[in-house]
Amino acid sequence: MNMLQVLNEKAGLVFPAISILTGLALANSIDPYLAYVATSWVIFGLLGLSLDIVWGRGGFLSLAQTAFYGLGGYFGSVAAINLSFVFGSSVIWSLSVGMISGALIAGALGLIIFYARMGPLQSTILSYTFTLLLWSVSQSFKIRLGDAVIGGDNGMSGIPGIVLAGGTEALDPKGALTFTILVAGAAYFVTYKVMTGTFGRVIDCVRLDIQKTELLGYDVRRYQVLNFAFSGGIAGLAGALFGAWSNYLNPSIFSVQEALLVPIYVLVGGLGTLAGPFVGAIAIGGLSFWLGGGAVGGQTTLILGIVLVLLVLFLKNGVLGALRQGMARLLPDPNEASRNAGAVSIETGDLEGILQAAEEKEGPAKALSSAGLLKKFGGVVPVNDVTLSFEPGKPHSLIGPNGAGKSSFLKTCVGLYKPDGGHVTLGGEPITNATIYSRVHTGMGVKNQKPQVFSELKVRDNLWIAAFSRLRDKRQAHDVATTILDMLGLTEQADVTASALSHGQQQWLDIGMVLCLAPRVVLLDEPAAGMTNEETRELAKLVRILARFTTVIVVEHDMEFVRTLQGHVTVLHQGEVFADGDIDQLRADERVLDIYLGRREHV
Amino acid sequence: MKTRAIKIGLLASVCLVTGVQAEVKIGAIYDLTGGLNIYGIQQNNALKLAVDNINSNGGLLGEQIQVVGYDAQSELSKYTQYVNTAILRDKIDALFAGLTSSSREAIRPIVRKANIPYFYASLYEGGACDKQTFVTGTSASQQLSVLIEWGIRKYGPKIYIMAPDYNFGTISAHWVHEFANQSGGEVVGEDFLALTVTDYAPTIQKIQAAKPDFVVALPVGANQTGFLEQFAAAGLKEKIGVVSTNYGSGNQQVVVSPAAGKELIASQGYFQQVENPANAKFVEMWQAAYGDDTPIVSGAVDTWNAVNLWAQAVSQAGTTDADEVIKALESGMTFDSPTGPVQLSPGSHHLIQTIFVAEGDDNHGFKIVDEFVGIKPTYEDQKCDLIENPDLAKHFTPDQN
Amino acid sequence: MEFDYLATVLLSSLASASILLIATIGLAVVFGLMGVINLAHGEFLMIGAYTALTATQAGVPFLLSIPIAVAVTMAIGAVIEILVINRLYGRIFDTMLATWGISIAFYQLAVLIFGTVTPGIGMPQYSIKIGDYNLAGYSLLMIFVAALMGSFVYLLMTRTVYGMKARASIQEPAMARAIGIESSRVNTMTFSLGCGLAGFAGAILLPIVPATPSMGFAFVIKAFLTVVVAGPVTLTGSAIAAIGLGGGASITASFLTSVAGDVFFFLITAVLLWLFPLGITAGWRRKM
Repeated sequence: MNMLQVLNEKAGLVFPAISILTGLALANSIDPYLAYVATSWVIFGLLGLSLDIVWGRGGFLSLAQTAFYGLGGYFGSVAAINLSFVFGSSVIWSLSVGMISGALIAGALGLIIFYARMGPLQSTILSYTFTLLLWSVSQSFKIRLGDAVIGGDNGMSGIPGIVLAGGTEALDPKGALTFTILVAGAAYFVTYKVMTGTFGRVIDCVRLDIQKTELLGYDVRRYQVLNFAFSGGIAGLAGALFGAWSNYLNPSIFSVQEALLVPIYVLVGGLGTLAGPFVGAIAIGGLSFWLGGGAVGGQTTLILGIVLVLLVLFLKNGVLGALRQGMARLLPDPNEASRNAGAVSIETGDLEGILQAAEEKEGPAKALSSAGLLKKFGGVVPVNDVTLSFEPGKPHSLIGPNGAGKSSFLKTCVGLYKPDGGHVTLGGEPITNATIYSRVHTGMGVKNQKPQVFSELKVRDNLWIAAFSRLRDKRQAHDVATTILDMLGLTEQADVTASALSHGQQQWLDIGMVLCLAPRVVLLDEPAAGMTNEETRELAKLVRILARFTTVIVVEHDMEFVRTLQGHVTVLHQGEVFADGDIDQLRADERVLDIYLGRREHV
Repeated sequence: MKTRAIKIGLLASVCLVTGVQAEVKIGAIYDLTGGLNIYGIQQNNALKLAVDNINSNGGLLGEQIQVVGYDAQSELSKYTQYVNTAILRDKIDALFAGLTSSSREAIRPIVRKANIPYFYASLYEGGACDKQTFVTGTSASQQLSVLIEWGIRKYGPKIYIMAPDYNFGTISAHWVHEFANQSGGEVVGEDFLALTVTDYAPTIQKIQAAKPDFVVALPVGANQTGFLEQFAAAGLKEKIGVVSTNYGSGNQQVVVSPAAGKELIASQGYFQQVENPANAKFVEMWQAAYGDDTPIVSGAVDTWNAVNLWAQAVSQAGTTDADEVIKALESGMTFDSPTGPVQLSPGSHHLIQTIFVAEGDDNHGFKIVDEFVGIKPTYEDQKCDLIENPDLAKHFTPDQN
Repeated sequence: MEFDYLATVLLSSLASASILLIATIGLAVVFGLMGVINLAHGEFLMIGAYTALTATQAGVPFLLSIPIAVAVTMAIGAVIEILVINRLYGRIFDTMLATWGISIAFYQLAVLIFGTVTPGIGMPQYSIKIGDYNLAGYSLLMIFVAALMGSFVYLLMTRTVYGMKARASIQEPAMARAIGIESSRVNTMTFSLGCGLAGFAGAILLPIVPATPSMGFAFVIKAFLTVVVAGPVTLTGSAIAAIGLGGGASITASFLTSVAGDVFFFLITAVLLWLFPLGITAGWRRKM
């Protein structure tokens, strides 16, 4: 690795650190009024950071960040007003109470949004509704809490400035800026640490493919709620700082303008960059300050509106995104290796070794069975009273013409569909109403028809995240990922971004991720779709070996592939079990041919 | 990570605007853009007019008055930011700023700490009280003390209140109750509306069910015109009178259709139609500077009064020193304003002024039907005596005290 | 409760719901057929209102000013679609942010062009009486206007070649391309139509809601909550959501306070989204 690569790796630490030090140096040399104004930009940057956590990393555009910011500000300031006499410090109280209340409220809202499994648009709108509701209610909300008076639209006055300890004098503008930069810097580095760690990786996976993340055994909703609460905590912290900065808070903090300014900060700086929102807030704050201060009667609103449109159109990645791209051009292309990748060939020995190790660690294969399973969509019944049992030993194939209910049956067993009746058991345990991730922990491994890989992650990290879900140990997960990489023959491509792989390679990577889970029963939905003949042969080999160690269920309509599996075959038709046996028996069965060819008698 | 370059660029540009320190410098922070600029632009225009007028007559203490202007963009956080900038950087001697109550409340603690005389020029709910703050607009109790009695005399004793659900509305409603009791009236119903309401059908049903003699209608801006249109179209104007303390404070009489605006009763501290020499001169100057497209609102004249009262106090004190100027302002200062003679009440820092009652005509204008000279800010005078108690810094509201 | 009061409350609540629906349909069409939430919808309403107002001030009768408003907003809508929306296809949140930028720019432009003071045109002074209670005739007329608008859009989508193409483009984009439908042209048409419907709303509601630069804000929040609650079957869904939410809020306001009406609107929206995370029509098999 040369200097430039190291710098690229550590850009998120080095540049912010330099910026913070420069900011601190400047804070003591600039005019007090500028220090004062710049303090608010840093606070807005912190608010932007909270959105970047939940939007740029978590993939959910929340318009409730200003709600947590405002509530954090109010709660923190009430605490500061009433409790400053203890320890003689205002910020100890305002910052901690602001942060905790922001996190708790965000967590509560997150529980509603994520556990109701709302669509992305609905989630955004609900978060917006929350902010609007607060704005409406707070206009006439009046209460006296100790010495703090919340007076509806007249707001809350007399919020103490930043009093560090023992004193009654608040910091002067320079001191306040220094303190704010330090708090924001600390918040940034904590966030950086969290977001580059395991939690952050899982959050990235949730954004990239939430279903796959759950199929790897992660409790995605818990991660989403935690991430949202974390962002709410940062927003609450920013709100408490804002209260101390302005000495005054009122309901306009919940207004539409405030709510929609935050995404601008994030977009200007660069979505998902964490440091970007600070750049955005300083740029926008500066622009607005300059326009408002310089040209009285200036058209700040007009300019901001046009800037936003241009940004969305032409600078999708923001300032930092553009810089990062520029830097990437100077570095060797990490995806180079994907171009000279050969055809996949399975190392049979390696595979058997992996499967043996898995069996030793996770126990013997488990049977999957369904009893009277029923799934309806309006008048359509894709799974109609299906009772089947899958035992280890031989691969099981589910076949049937289009619309026979094969995939629906599989999805109902996996938990992607909620059954309308019947039971599913895994290794004798009832799992009918279990969550997807707990089924995965019980030993279920699922590969859907389309390759599901985390496009922005490296190949190795894709496998690591799968292995980590089971092992909960970084070292062991790394070892398992390396073994699977070798087995798949993808070692050369370990540092390639998954999206750079060919379709076929992505399928193998996906299968590799399932194997990282050491599943006791494996469900494959049309795994051969889109594969070359050569790849299909390798796949058949893999499935046959797999079936010696675990239960394997394959949904397929490629009859040739099913034949090469040499396993047990079940034919589904109109959501019901139609026939059962091995492939040669079924091929001789007139009735099976009837339904495949659409002949009258049994259609 | 480009933070650095941007910061330095900004620094440079901000430093450039920092001018040479003038002898007499005032800050003007109004909403020149955004939803509140109907009022903000007029306040700012009036301030410029007053300053130009003083400067062309030889200035103040032999110096020209310099104005440092900022556009608060109808955003509250901008007020905090610009007030501090004006004080810390521009070192202003007095501040003229704000329209909404929240902007005033955001400003007051800052000017109090910096000890800068601050003039708030807008009609408002009343009760603001501290040493640095001077209010030249009318307070709710000042306007309503006249209007409710007048309404009862004209229409009858039964009153319905429809008001926005925030301080201006709820405090005004309190005074309506109080003055109704004093004048033998009776409040037969009230409805508080969220700021986002555009559909007044429910309120209109409730008004009809309560059968009042007149309605006190207090919603702000475009909300008010919507209500008046719907009220008139329901054919209620013949049966029920409508009076207001804020109708005509912005552009409502121009926006509202003649059919809905005719015969509406408004009470204000100023209407452009006021007849006196001071106003004739003022209107002439205004129209020479800004044309006659838009009617002059009370907030503009309140600002004009504020600048002139401050200038008078500076002249009297012979210095711009805050303590001296405030002392001068507390000396029972009077001024011949376009609204008629006004006097600054020393204890409460509010104006004793004329309250006009006007009736809407069918050409987007007003006809003054009654005037009440020398109406005192009774509530503020009673609660707030800054001569006796100079350290008071409160916002009195009738429901809390 | 007297019968005549109850009757007026119900009738006027239906009128309130209709006004909401009129303001919403354009948004619903664009969302339903393009998957785009147009945050500048309110400003198109405003443009429609100002166009109609300017036309009437120039001596055009009010009824004739409505088609002018529709034409102007359709043209502006088409330009915006080609310049901005087209390039953001499939990026729903970017589209939201871009249209928000457009909305504040339009707002400020309106302030520049029209100032903040423009005279209204007034409502026709015609009212009907139910027992002791008066109701404004023009507001009641909005019930029919909403019904007409709804039927017009429904017929346009189900009975015309454009409608078939538009629905094909959203439901089966690949297939639509394969059979030669130029989805980008259809989208331009759809967006323009949505803006035209907003312009129509702004013009027809002008007597009730006077033209001001900020009039869009008042409508757009409730309109787009309505659309999102409605879900994938946008037209029927929006009609139901508008009647349920708008009418419900109006009834609540009539018996409690106006603030309670607003809180009702937001709370019921939140509850509906909780119960129907993808909108109330998510499970339906209808298409419009």
